[in-house]
Amino acid sequence: MFHFQSFDDDCTLEEEEGLVEEEDEIDQFNDDTFGAGAIDNDWQEEHARLAGLDERVRDEVDGAGDASSVDLSLSGSNAHSSAPPQPSSSSRLYPSIDERGGGDLAESLTHLILGSDPAIAGVGAASSDRSLRPLMLSGQTPQPSALAGQSSLLLSYQQQHQVMHRGPAPLSQINSHSIWENSMGFSPVSSGLLTQKEDKTLMSIIKEVGLPNRPPALSREEGRDFSERVPPPRSSSPVIGSPPVRAVPIGTPPKQPMSHVHTQQNNHPSAIQHVRASMPLRYPPPFPERLSPNNLLSIASSPLSHSPFPAGVGPVLSQIQRAQLLNSQVGPFQRGPAPPLLQGGVGGFRPFFGQSGPRVGLHGPPLGHAPIRHNTTHLHPQHRRMLNQRMQNRGLGDHVGGRGVGDRKNRDPYSNLMTQREKEWVARIQMMQLQSTDPYLDDYYYQNYYEKMEKRQERDRDNRKEHTTKLITPQVAKLEHTYRPVQFAGSLGKLTVSSVNNPRKMIDAVVTTRSDDEEKREKQVWNKRRQILYTVEKMYSLLLEVQDFEKKFLQTPEHQRDALLEQHKTHMVQLYNSLREKEWDDRVSDKQCLMIMSVRKGKRLISRLLPFLPQPHAAAVVMGIARNLPALAKKDKHDQVLCWLVEPVTTVIQSMSSTSLTDLLQELQGSEGQLPLVLQNKFGVTLLYLILSEGERMQSSDPNCQLMDDNRWTELVFSVTRELLKVPSSALSSPLFTPPNLVSLFSRYVDRQRLELLQEKLQITSLTR
Amino acid sequence: MLFYSFFKSLVGKDVVVELKNDLSICGTLHSVDQYLNIKMTDISVTDPEKYPHMLSVKNCFIRGSVVRYVQLPADEVDTQLLQDAARKEAMQQKQ
Repeated sequence: MFHFQSFDDDCTLEEEEGLVEEEDEIDQFNDDTFGAGAIDNDWQEEHARLAGLDERVRDEVDGAGDASSVDLSLSGSNAHSSAPPQPSSSSRLYPSIDERGGGDLAESLTHLILGSDPAIAGVGAASSDRSLRPLMLSGQTPQPSALAGQSSLLLSYQQQHQVMHRGPAPLSQINSHSIWENSMGFSPVSSGLLTQKEDKTLMSIIKEVGLPNRPPALSREEGRDFSERVPPPRSSSPVIGSPPVRAVPIGTPPKQPMSHVHTQQNNHPSAIQHVRASMPLRYPPPFPERLSPNNLLSIASSPLSHSPFPAGVGPVLSQIQRAQLLNSQVGPFQRGPAPPLLQGGVGGFRPFFGQSGPRVGLHGPPLGHAPIRHNTTHLHPQHRRMLNQRMQNRGLGDHVGGRGVGDRKNRDPYSNLMTQREKEWVARIQMMQLQSTDPYLDDYYYQNYYEKMEKRQERDRDNRKEHTTKLITPQVAKLEHTYRPVQFAGSLGKLTVSSVNNPRKMIDAVVTTRSDDEEKREKQVWNKRRQILYTVEKMYSLLLEVQDFEKKFLQTPEHQRDALLEQHKTHMVQLYNSLREKEWDDRVSDKQCLMIMSVRKGKRLISRLLPFLPQPHAAAVVMGIARNLPALAKKDKHDQVLCWLVEPVTTVIQSMSSTSLTDLLQELQGSEGQLPLVLQNKFGVTLLYLILSEGERMQSSDPNCQLMDDNRWTELVFSVTRELLKVPSSALSSPLFTPPNLVSLFSRYVDRQRLELLQEKLQITSLTR
Repeated sequence: MLFYSFFKSLVGKDVVVELKNDLSICGTLHSVDQYLNIKMTDISVTDPEKYPHMLSVKNCFIRGSVVRYVQLPADEVDTQLLQDAARKEAMQQKQ
């Protein structure tokens, strides 16, 4: 054993293990080293002798020294060792020599060499050793004198090498102690005796083989592959209702293709013996019922891209990158049923920097009947852009830091505990939970957030429509794995057998939803505020439905569109009904309106609802607001959120007719004393200005406008101006914005002096915005 | 999936995570998963460094169940949208 270790510096403990495992080799070597074969061979002596030999040979080659001196030294060295073992040892070392005596050395050598196949190093060694043995034994012929033996030894040593050089890889020599002379013999001899070509062959072979008896099964991949560390096989017996037990336990991370699996199985005979794969691993049909996570995700794969994330973070590969890696290696490889976690709508591990180019990847045959699942781990392109920018900014600053981290990573003793494939496999399983059937619902916040951001950016850049990027969640075909418990016909109930793969439903429970009325009664809403909130929430749900209507409309097929439209109308009606007066159609219930608007949520609701309402309804709502403005203003003192209403109200006003506008103004003025209150409120002032501005616009743009048909408008404006002048400046709040055409409006109705006063008071000039 | 979706929109932003053991970690949100486990990069302990063992740590993975608070940048959150998402979720669950 020691020989081998000192022979090759590259020898690691591995070789020791390898040697131990091979039973044959052990015996052989044991014998050789300690057993009958070795008798009392002192290897150190041998080594010294050979070392001496080696030097002498070198001298010989160089032309210096002579055989006699060599013989002398040899004899001298041999004198130390005991005589009896000498011939046997020498015979053992050079069995061929002894056998022949003075015979045909070359012949026997070639026989020896050819007898063992160099390719099967270990096996060959054993057999060749065995072949050597009989030779050796037979070689116990009357020995020549020690001296003569040694001289012949020397000569034959050279010849031997000559022959060996010419022949194929003399691996038979390598396995035993003859390694020594081989290795040592090569270097001195090769320089003189060999041709370059032969030398290379042999040296390369030596390098290649290194040490003998390395079992082929232990040939490992580069960088320790821990795929042999398979999780212990589940000792599950074949159960009725269970999926068929596979030879490779379910949940084993994928390794190499099929052949390697078989090899591995051979190497682990302790694997499931009792339930060996009665069914061989079969290739799946084009779209198998069960897919491993690898296959599922490889279907939805996208092209690899370099993750721009800093190396210091570690192997946080994009999910898709992993999928790609595995996709290339794991072909149509079925690996048992997918983990029974295919619930829709549950998130999973989401990698950073998802892929570029989110594309719909449905590589298998399209399944019309199966629900399509969407992969929600993809980032919105806008988001990705932002992250890239951020990365670049960081990268410029952290350039040195990154390298430091890299150094640290190099010295990490705990890295590579899992292979890349294993990591990917684990992450993939988590990823599977992220697939949802309705990404719009499940991923509502994220998708809408980035859509809004895009719209905002577009607006900021003055409607420069470069590209409205949309987030496309790639689709993955969902495969239903409904478990149907085994039932025998005519029997009562189901079998009680269940396993982890088919958990049995213990209770057949049916969910009964309570109807709305019942709920109302049961809740017994007595708290007014609660009631208001409750109403508001109900309206909100309707509103959301209305909001989604457009999107849904585009998605539904033709024949269902009418139904959807009907539904939409119903929603709208319901919404308005909750606001309007019981009997009147065109008037909004003040009480209801007030109630709703007293809550901040309600105001928000109204502001969002207004754009969706048809014109008459919307106008009615705005009227209602104007009518009740003082009360609203009072209630809003705390929240100050009435101004949310400005925008939608503006839109409504601009679409109003002149009569309704006049009506609106009238409503705003309302009873005595209302206007001052209105003016005190920011929103009120804004509203007033809006109305006036709209009126002015109407007048100036359309000469035939009906605004002046009756005097109402004029009168109203007069009263407004009177009030404006009367009200002290302190009581006048500034509006959100001042429409530009107010000056022209006032100039129509008031004289110059008053106009100037007004201008000063309201701080409006012809130039203010 | 509401909060998963919510945190996904915050990926790449700076957050402060306060754990149940009173440790506060400030850093960039790297990723989040369905259990709201959080991966953060470029972390630093916000409070006075009474946690010196964290000095050399640059990236960390926080199990979702140990998080007490997550402090977010206010302007990165759309509360209206969040409310709508919550309403939708409630409607879904009712069905």
